[in-house]
Amino acid sequence: MEIPLAATLARADRDYLGAFQAMATPCEVRVETDDAELARRVTGAVEAEARRIEAKFSRYRDDSIIGRINAAGGRRTAVDAETAHLLDFAGQCFDLSGGMFDITSGALRRAWRFDGSDRIPGATDIKALQKLVGWNRVSWRDCCLTLPAGMEIDLGGLAKEYAVDRALAVARAITAAPVLVNFGGDLVVSGPRTGGARWHVAIASVEKDDALAGMLELASGALATSGDARRFLLKDGVRYSHILNPRTGWPVQDAPRSVTVAALSCVEAGMVATLAMLQGKRAEKFLKREGARAWCIR
Amino acid sequence: MQLKKRKAGRVGRAISAISATLLIATAASCENSAVAQDFYGLDKAGRDNFGPGIAYTEFDGALLIYQEAGGRVQAIEPTANLAIHGARGQQLTLGAVADAVSGATPNGAVPSDRTQTFVTPLKPQGSSTTVTSASGGSTVIQLPPTPGQVASAALGRQYTTAANTLPMDKGFRDHRAALTAGWSQPLGWISEIGGGGGFSREEDYQSITANVRAAKNFNSDNTTISLDLNGEFDSSFPFGGVPTGLSAMNAQFKPVTTRHKTQLGFVLGLTEVMTRNWLMALNYSYDSQKGYQTDPYRVISVVDPVSGEPTSTLYENRPERRKTQSLFWDNKLAFGPTVTELSYRYFTDDWGISSHTVEASERINLAKAWYVEPNVRFYHQNAANFYRAFLVSNAALPAFASSDTRLSRFDAITYGAKIGFRVSGRSELYVRADYYTQSGDGHPANAIGQLRRQDLFAGTKAAIVQVGYQWKFH
Repeated sequence: MEIPLAATLARADRDYLGAFQAMATPCEVRVETDDAELARRVTGAVEAEARRIEAKFSRYRDDSIIGRINAAGGRRTAVDAETAHLLDFAGQCFDLSGGMFDITSGALRRAWRFDGSDRIPGATDIKALQKLVGWNRVSWRDCCLTLPAGMEIDLGGLAKEYAVDRALAVARAITAAPVLVNFGGDLVVSGPRTGGARWHVAIASVEKDDALAGMLELASGALATSGDARRFLLKDGVRYSHILNPRTGWPVQDAPRSVTVAALSCVEAGMVATLAMLQGKRAEKFLKREGARAWCIR
Repeated sequence: MQLKKRKAGRVGRAISAISATLLIATAASCENSAVAQDFYGLDKAGRDNFGPGIAYTEFDGALLIYQEAGGRVQAIEPTANLAIHGARGQQLTLGAVADAVSGATPNGAVPSDRTQTFVTPLKPQGSSTTVTSASGGSTVIQLPPTPGQVASAALGRQYTTAANTLPMDKGFRDHRAALTAGWSQPLGWISEIGGGGGFSREEDYQSITANVRAAKNFNSDNTTISLDLNGEFDSSFPFGGVPTGLSAMNAQFKPVTTRHKTQLGFVLGLTEVMTRNWLMALNYSYDSQKGYQTDPYRVISVVDPVSGEPTSTLYENRPERRKTQSLFWDNKLAFGPTVTELSYRYFTDDWGISSHTVEASERINLAKAWYVEPNVRFYHQNAANFYRAFLVSNAALPAFASSDTRLSRFDAITYGAKIGFRVSGRSELYVRADYYTQSGDGHPANAIGQLRRQDLFAGTKAAIVQVGYQWKFH
């Protein structure tokens, strides 16, 4: 299937900046080069990879692998290698987090709608939905995944970070020029800029739209941010973040407003940031204990 | 803001490792988008999805069948190995082997143009190693009584070898069971520290082994240096007792029933990732053995200096001390769709043996889940300085002598192939077949009389077939 591409390309200082919209977020790729044709090719390849991953793993599409798994109604679904690796990864993260990171927690969204309002679901609704949550309830063996009827999975918690890392791999296959891939704030660089300079990355403020909370310098690796800047419920002065604890069915309390983590890959940074958010008020402690390079905003 | 490097905790390290594994594994399957349509388990990259930091268990069960040409030794050997890998680099290994060996084995005497008769002690009734005259091709004989001997000890077993035939004892039958266990883990700055032990028991032999190991990775894990210390304590309690070296073969029970051997050694290892496609390992090992190393059942012929006819048969005798050294160089090369392994081993000891081994194998992935791995091995060794095909009756007896062809100068070639089928991404069924041939000098220049017309090299030709199943699971 040929995926139509829509990226724009512009000159920005020493870079060419390709931009497009995918995965419901603005995406950009910076290539440090004077070669416009090279930058166009890199941008095209990055956009194609982003759209491929979006199409393949979107839970909103019936024809995606996730759509097929969720619609299987208790029957088993055979999956391809790439999906299998992602499911393995998700299962390993479930184990490592003691069940806090769970790609089956999506059923809880039927009760929780994070629209900034004060609509808090009832405890009985949540209890009923919790029976449909738990990676330990699924059967994942060899090539096949079987979900009990009513359960669903959602790779949204790692697909964007995965797409960032894949996009960089695609770009690297085309050029050795310095590249930065940024999908909605989750980003990775191919290495230092020409001459060894670092990339400058701004952390967006959680309070105001265009304000900056700080600047980071990055020579290699990735950054990912987990936060509830614009997705929350507010009732009786309690702010309910959009991060749900699958073990209780309730949002995590006292989580930082945002956690930014630096790591070797975007997948790694994103997972550490997510697990930190799930720790609630112990987020900073967790990050310190795990030796993460991280910045929390409360 | 300067990013500072800090030491990651357990969860952080594990996430780092599994993230890297995810990206490496998916990179392979995404290189061609069409490849991603292949089902998991049939995919090349799907083979290993257990990265560092992930707890998993490996099981390997196999059945080996060994058959020597000419109706000699045959063996059936089931094996089972379990390796349990912890999330923090711990590893527990357990192994069990059983085998049943039977058949005929050359007794060490030279062939003759006349019928030859040999006598050995008779295995008592009720022993599982009792040899009947029907299956063993031997007969029970009454020994001339000696004063003070009990009646049953006066019985011997006698077997004959036809003219121009290699003398073989057909009463060879044994069972063996062995267990091994080992543990290793990282500890502080040491990348791997561990130890293990083993116990093996045959009807006439017992072996106890122990080892400790430490390894350190350097240079972003591209270099590993390791040291293994090994100890072994063996007991030999041959049927009929331990014969005195170079005494005449006879059917009497010997007064000494058990002899021991101790062995101490070490292996110094270096493993180096040379390039992305080339892994090299260099090992030096040293062993010192002390104690009984003679084959208690093996004999050597004493022949007439003119006719070459055997005049008597003596038990062999080997030195009690042996020091061995070896150097092993191994290379794994991954280019394109194949993996090549090339290795060379040099071995030398103070018995005068030195040997060279060159081995090559090539793993070729076939369509879908199949692969084939042909291999070939060449071996050459020089004789031990006490190796004698026979002794001559008018010459002085040497201190040590053995006619074991494994101590002679010979060449050996092994051809083989393994065919594997990946049942799923985590389990594999394989069949391996090898054919081994030894060739040596059957007509040495010092052959006398009738020996010039005999083949004095009793080398082995053997086929080995192994069927196995490997399974990895969480």
